[in-house]
Amino acid sequence: MKQKVGEGLLFFGFVGIASTLLLALLWAPSVSIDAFESPAAQRIFYWHVPAAWAAFIAFGALFIGSLGWLFKRSELMWRLHTAGAEAGLATGLMTVWSGCVWGAAEWGTPWDWTDVRLNTFGLLTLLAIYLVLGRASQPDGVETRDTFAAFGLYGFVLVPITYVATRIWSIRHPGPVVGTGDEGSINGDMGLVLLLGAISFTVFIIGHMMNSMHVTSLEQRLERLQATMDKVI
Amino acid sequence: MAQPLLAVDGIEVRRGMNVVLKDFNLTLKSGEVLALVGENGAGKSTLLEACARLLPLEQGRILHADVVVADHEGRRRPSPLVLGLALQKNGMMGSEFVAEHLATAMSMSGHSVDPLPFLRAFSLEHRANDLVAHLSQGQARKVAVLAALLPAFASKQPGLVLLDEPAAGMDEQSVSILCEWIAQLRILGHAVMICTHDQRIATCATTHIDVSTSKTTETTPNEPTSKSDTNSQPVKAISPAVFGWKMQWRTLAWLNHNAVASLLTLGILLSFGDLLQGLEDMQRYGFLLAPAFAAGLCGEAMVQASREERTNAWWRAVANANPHSGMLPLALGCLLTLLSSLSFSYAIEPTAIIVGGLLTFLTWHTIRLLHEATNRLARPRAVFVGLLTPTLILPYALLLDLLSR
Repeated sequence: MKQKVGEGLLFFGFVGIASTLLLALLWAPSVSIDAFESPAAQRIFYWHVPAAWAAFIAFGALFIGSLGWLFKRSELMWRLHTAGAEAGLATGLMTVWSGCVWGAAEWGTPWDWTDVRLNTFGLLTLLAIYLVLGRASQPDGVETRDTFAAFGLYGFVLVPITYVATRIWSIRHPGPVVGTGDEGSINGDMGLVLLLGAISFTVFIIGHMMNSMHVTSLEQRLERLQATMDKVI
Repeated sequence: MAQPLLAVDGIEVRRGMNVVLKDFNLTLKSGEVLALVGENGAGKSTLLEACARLLPLEQGRILHADVVVADHEGRRRPSPLVLGLALQKNGMMGSEFVAEHLATAMSMSGHSVDPLPFLRAFSLEHRANDLVAHLSQGQARKVAVLAALLPAFASKQPGLVLLDEPAAGMDEQSVSILCEWIAQLRILGHAVMICTHDQRIATCATTHIDVSTSKTTETTPNEPTSKSDTNSQPVKAISPAVFGWKMQWRTLAWLNHNAVASLLTLGILLSFGDLLQGLEDMQRYGFLLAPAFAAGLCGEAMVQASREERTNAWWRAVANANPHSGMLPLALGCLLTLLSSLSFSYAIEPTAIIVGGLLTFLTWHTIRLLHEATNRLARPRAVFVGLLTPTLILPYALLLDLLSR
């Protein structure tokens, strides 16, 4: 049942993301040529911001999963850690890649080593790659889980830094556009497309994590069966 | 009444996904020799390593002389006892000299005895000044076992000696001598725990515990044929930083591991030639400090080196830290920045040199800690710690921003 729900959410998430892309490219209003160096590239924003939002959800799951494993030794929490790392990798790469394209068009450079938000987000994505590849390279066991859960906690320190980075060190990256409490510069139609993107990415990432947790549970079941066979044979 | 030197209080230890020890208890008193026996995989080595505080506990606690040294909440305190340890791996690097390794092990007890009579008994006197790498497997095993026994012989206080399969690869005569020394340690009031499948070693014990069934058997061991007559002198403990520094200079690992990358960075930057003229302040500092930063990013050579024969585990047990290079990166960073400052501006820039030294020091040790965090993994070399090194680029960029203001 949970697997069906996960697959359903993944499907609706995909449909929503595809709709967001179509609306962003064909329907969303153009921005002022005075406000942007490259107004056409601004449409990447409808992909970039919701992807970053989904990445924060994924990294939040990674943090909760890491805590749950370290303090409760919960199998469910380890599966959440694994799912959070995989989802964080997917959405982190979406965000960083789209950000580089937008940055190249808008700033004239795809990367700025002194931009705190850009760098901390890049680091979160690298951490997700590290966790996913690292887990694949090790046999499952408490040593592996403790080590990667500790790195998961370390990574989460970067999440609040990433969120507040543009408030503290405002260099190139624009300030937060979601959750600031003020009107910002987003007009009604833009906000609608952004909202659809955020909801779609949220549904997608929840579906992705549910499926990922299911796959991990199947892997664990397989390992238990193999261990039983080792004793019988 | 004999003083309890080791108490294992309801511990549970996992290895991989298996619970190897569950609700395990034992007490080892001064003057007792405990033999842990049982089939392969019963948990003998796991118990010994848990007693040495090398494995995390899921439940329970370990006490050395009534002081909690490890518990299930992850607390880990230094042992108040003199600890002699021989793991299944020898716990020493090939670049150590035999006498030097024994002196290092003894220094942990604060006292030292002449190791030559012991080496002579093991037919190793002529090897005292050889590198460990030049020994045969059996000879190296004897040195590892001596490194566990000598701190107790040198100590004025009762100590704890943990031996994991000490007789592996030893000839008959050496096993007899080892049994005699274990009996002497017992008479001196030390406590000895031995994991063994070797019946000759098991006969040295006052108690046998079958780890798989927790069945305890009291036995009467042979008495020593002679009395230990060692004259110990006080010595200063050798720290992991001093050991690491010594190994770095002997093996020149820093040159291969850090300095080459740094000098290549400098060479590549110098090849820009005329482009180096008219740089902004931030760019100039970036170029000036890049070699020092590159040296630090390469990390600590001792992390890889000390994985040889589980040297890192031995150091963590007896000295509470892994070997590292201490202040070497500070000196190297200053030197490299001096070189880059002379190359770029034909002048000595004291601020940049100090910042360069600190930059290498901090970067080097941060990377070291990242690598050490993976030591518990089954395959620490298979993880991609390099992916996390960009963590340091942002602080580097912010430092350059700060310097250029």
